[in-house]
Amino acid sequence: METEARHKHPPYMLVWGVLFVLTMVEVFYAFMDIPKVYIAVGLIIMAVWKALLVALYYMHLRFEPKRLWVLAASPLPLVVILLTFVLFENF
Amino acid sequence: MTTHAAAVGRAPMPGMEVYNLKLGMWVFLLSEVMFFTGLIGSYIILRFAHPEHFAQPGVVLNVPLTAFNTFILICSSVTMVKAFAAIEQGDQKGLKRWLLATIALGTLFVGVQVVEYTVLASEGFVPMAEAYHAIGRGNPHDGPALGGPLYGATFYTMTGFHGTHVTIGVLCMWFVLWRASKGAYTAQSYGGVEIMGLYWHFVDLVWIILFTIVYLI
Amino acid sequence: MSTTQHDMVNRAEAGGHHDHHEPPFIRKYIFSTDHKTIAKQFMFVSLFFLVVGGLLATLMRWQLGFPSQPMPGGGVFPDAMMAPTPGGAIMLPEFYNSLVTMHGTIMIFFAIMPLLVGLFGNLLIPLQIGAPDMAFPRLNMASFWLAVPAGILMLASFAVEGGAAGAGWTSYAPLSASGEYTGVYLGQQLWLVSLAVLGFSSLAGAVNYISTVINMRAPGMTWFRIPLATWALFITAVLVLLAMPILAGALIMLLFDQTIGTAFFLPEFDGEPLLWQHLFWFFGHPEVYILILPAMGIASEVISNRARKPIFGYHSMVLAIIAIAFLGWIVWGHHMFQSGMNPMLGTSFMISTMAIAVPSAIKTFNWLATLWKGDLHLDSPMLYAIAFVSLFIIGGLSGVYMASTPVDVYIHDTYFIVAHIHYVLFGGSLFAIFAGITFWYPKMFGRLMNERLNKIHFLLTFVFYNLVFWPMHNLGLQGMMRRIYDFTQYEYLQPLQPMNRFITICVFILVASQSLYAISFFWSLFKGEKATNNPWNSNGLEWTVPSPPPHGNFAEMPVVYRGPYEYSSPESDTDFLPQTTPPRDRPAPAPVPTPQGA
Repeated sequence: METEARHKHPPYMLVWGVLFVLTMVEVFYAFMDIPKVYIAVGLIIMAVWKALLVALYYMHLRFEPKRLWVLAASPLPLVVILLTFVLFENF
Repeated sequence: MTTHAAAVGRAPMPGMEVYNLKLGMWVFLLSEVMFFTGLIGSYIILRFAHPEHFAQPGVVLNVPLTAFNTFILICSSVTMVKAFAAIEQGDQKGLKRWLLATIALGTLFVGVQVVEYTVLASEGFVPMAEAYHAIGRGNPHDGPALGGPLYGATFYTMTGFHGTHVTIGVLCMWFVLWRASKGAYTAQSYGGVEIMGLYWHFVDLVWIILFTIVYLI
Repeated sequence: MSTTQHDMVNRAEAGGHHDHHEPPFIRKYIFSTDHKTIAKQFMFVSLFFLVVGGLLATLMRWQLGFPSQPMPGGGVFPDAMMAPTPGGAIMLPEFYNSLVTMHGTIMIFFAIMPLLVGLFGNLLIPLQIGAPDMAFPRLNMASFWLAVPAGILMLASFAVEGGAAGAGWTSYAPLSASGEYTGVYLGQQLWLVSLAVLGFSSLAGAVNYISTVINMRAPGMTWFRIPLATWALFITAVLVLLAMPILAGALIMLLFDQTIGTAFFLPEFDGEPLLWQHLFWFFGHPEVYILILPAMGIASEVISNRARKPIFGYHSMVLAIIAIAFLGWIVWGHHMFQSGMNPMLGTSFMISTMAIAVPSAIKTFNWLATLWKGDLHLDSPMLYAIAFVSLFIIGGLSGVYMASTPVDVYIHDTYFIVAHIHYVLFGGSLFAIFAGITFWYPKMFGRLMNERLNKIHFLLTFVFYNLVFWPMHNLGLQGMMRRIYDFTQYEYLQPLQPMNRFITICVFILVASQSLYAISFFWSLFKGEKATNNPWNSNGLEWTVPSPPPHGNFAEMPVVYRGPYEYSSPESDTDFLPQTTPPRDRPAPAPVPTPQGA
């Protein structure tokens, strides 16, 4: 099957390189002299990017049926709900 | 496989189109997402509620050491995926070699974390509320306390449970390695290796989030 | 490997190890990987805990009916629980708090949940979808054998110094976090550990159920041909999977507060008690849907079959189950209206809670429409199922009162809430459990239950159940609070004493009546009329195999041609049409034997 052939050569080392670079960038970015909110947002974006790379390539989600993507994404709305509602307690 | 073809009695319904073991591991990992959400979410909530309990990055926690540890764990994901790629090709020696490398890197990660905990505790950064007296890295012993007890409690709980998951992963990997040495995995039947990999990458993924949120923000 | 091969391997793996000889007793009955045996194991253990929970409630009711009066025979209890006096022993307030806590905990976690999810999930899912067993039979065995030590730990907590947990089944911090408030130290910790262990058991079950339903359906068993019992159990498993881990995290943090000295929830160190409540109820609300959805599924099966009519609105029934599960994630704050949380949250939770009444109402109207002009066979499963519908309606309606935040100001933590809880959990879940056990008893044990005994049990239970719990609505509205040892200390509540005594006496009769079901159950095991494959003339796949089914369930892989509710169909000569009967105009395909082990 086409997907089987494709996933014999996913770019593992390229992903590793990007993860390494992103980690270094994160560490330097965290200590930059800019308002905290930009640091937090930027770091979260980078962390999510890294997490997606691991999920899509190392966990092979990229090459799995789309139904599995839906399954894998299913807790995310709950995460948002829990955090959003409870953070309201502080405002 | 269509419903029609299935209905004439040749095969079960296609379902997720992924074999049982793999589906089961993905389903299990969803529960792990929720588990870490509870812990990390609590950290976020407590931090918003009491920001004075927490310190700026690098003041109490050792960012360079942990960045190195993050790199170790990422490398272990690479070695794990190489082990998987090896058995996909039927390469038994490659499988065992890369599994061993992953075990080594995972063990190193936990070791570094234990060292980190020991140093932090000696600096007064502990989870117990009454005993908490973190003085920060490189400060004189009589410095003022930095942050508050919520910092210690949340830090050790989150990273401790992550470390526990890594340790369990390493133990499972020894089991997989043992099974590999018995020739249990082939290019046609490598489910055990694949689900080991899924678990391991997930543990790496959680650390990527944890490291960012706990050490860098 | 192609999908077909994958699935064949899936079914073979799950078929287990097909011995050509009988497995030894210990592999067959104790450490079994057969889902039907595991179901029965869950059933027997859970029914034991149901009795324990009922006895705990009876003790509580003694104190409420006869406050601080010597209980005859109370001398058998240790002095730490009941103080001996002439005539018996007087219950101590600390023991009352433990009774309240442990009654709730045991009933929810060790009785209702394992009956609905452990018994019916294990029994029905593989049979109804046409699978030889669960996807992971050994994991299934582990699920049961993790639940047992959890139960032992929970019971053991009565015997330790300080007694069993006493902070309510909701274990609010800081009351639960520090033993100096309740006098309970080790007992509270055992409670936490027990639930954590049980969490693993539930999680293992959830992974199994979800994987099995997704991947192991027989040919032709499309999603919208799955019986409602399995649909409900599948959605319930998703709730278990995603909600339990939040509880686990909260339990761990509370355990650390109790043992290590952290202060997640202790205000003196800036900990947040409300965080416990948010985490607990974020789990706790899906938990209550876990406790009702399988009951709804069971009721649908029994009502449709015993009315000889298709379930009204099968698709909307499925969508309603899904809607309840979805909405269930955004209503948890209705347990916290009086907690001091942000009032804006009060508004949003009120709206979402009112919304969730809609899918439940859809289901209720569908059951009623199924009954309407049906050929009603009012045997005991049907009686229990109809009682389920009527009592669930009452419980649901009282829920609408509670959903309104301003109303909740007055009725929160009163007996109005206790009434609601018991209408949905006893009137709802437990009656459905009676219906389900009676309905599938022949499939489990190869015999029919004693109809006469069941009917008497039904009548007594229904009457005395309502006599016990209906008045609690009034008690609550008049201000009687929950979890209180001696409400007569408040002058304005003293007039409620006679009603409380009446309720207590009815409880004694109610509990005693349950012995009839126990007698029927055990009598029928030996003396019940032997059952054929399909004593109820039902359509599901589980009724196409012998009672009880053999290991591996289906000798030939079943092929499914239609949904499960084709009762009184014009296509059939009789009033039912099984899912696997080939249509008249199409010949059956050549049977494919179920693959036997790898």
